[in-house]
Amino acid sequence: MSRLDDELKRALRRAEAPPGFADHVLARVVRENRTRQAAISGWRQFFTRPILRLATAAALSTALVAGGAYYRHAQMEKAQRAEGEAAKQQLMLALRIASTKLHLARSKVNDVSDGNQNRHEKE
Amino acid sequence: MRRIAWFLILLCASVVARTQDLKIPPNIEKLSAKAKETVEVTMDAPMLRWASKFLSADDPEEQKAAKLVANLKGIYVRSYEFDDEGAYSSEDVETLRSQVRGPNWTRVVGVRSQRDGENVDVFFRLENDKMAGIIVIAAERKELTFVNIVGPLEVDQLADLSGEFGIPKLNAREVSKASKGERK
Repeated sequence: MSRLDDELKRALRRAEAPPGFADHVLARVVRENRTRQAAISGWRQFFTRPILRLATAAALSTALVAGGAYYRHAQMEKAQRAEGEAAKQQLMLALRIASTKLHLARSKVNDVSDGNQNRHEKE
Repeated sequence: MRRIAWFLILLCASVVARTQDLKIPPNIEKLSAKAKETVEVTMDAPMLRWASKFLSADDPEEQKAAKLVANLKGIYVRSYEFDDEGAYSSEDVETLRSQVRGPNWTRVVGVRSQRDGENVDVFFRLENDKMAGIIVIAAERKELTFVNIVGPLEVDQLADLSGEFGIPKLNAREVSKASKGERK
């Protein structure tokens, strides 16, 4: 047997629990349960008070209404922005068409005046 | 009796005001049924104000457009592109031209081309020697376009558009002289 085996045996040797260990563990579990229950009943007590319950409901309702209003406002703003952009595109299109047709008029006038000039030069 | 007279005067005034701010003849609207492509833009003053709010100050083209439309009362465009020639009649064009026969309207350009069949008319509406509107009627072989810009439109402003939109540079003095001459 090597020294390592001896050490392992010693380390893994069954050891008896100290007297009253189980009682200590059970007592601790009971104690922790009581603390947790006390905390829960404190919260319950908070909500059993009518004024606090009302205040909580009011705060929740206000938050919901405000959230809804904000969402609606954001949606409306988005829709208005889209409509405005469409109107802008229409405006730019109208101006472009107007400019194109004025350009056409201009080029026609130029064609006529150039033709007249050439005729005069030939004569 | 006096009340009736006042009522009639007001009625006449409103009719005159309406005819001065003429818009699109209804028979032209029907052409959209035959057209391959239709562009219909109807923007009155509130709509123009609304649209110009969205014009970017960083974009030079949009900046010029904002300046141009600032005092306008309306922009009305109808442009119809057809597959075939003869989709619209000369009567249709004549109806458009007849809209601008009035003391305030002056035809500054009128081109009739037998060669390519493209006829273009440009009318200015002048009030106190200032431009108060412009109408362009372009009748091409397969396209008919009617543009009506209503409102105080400085000739300089119009000239200022050249380059940005491809609008030809119009000589303000020549336009003014021509229009005065024609009105006489």
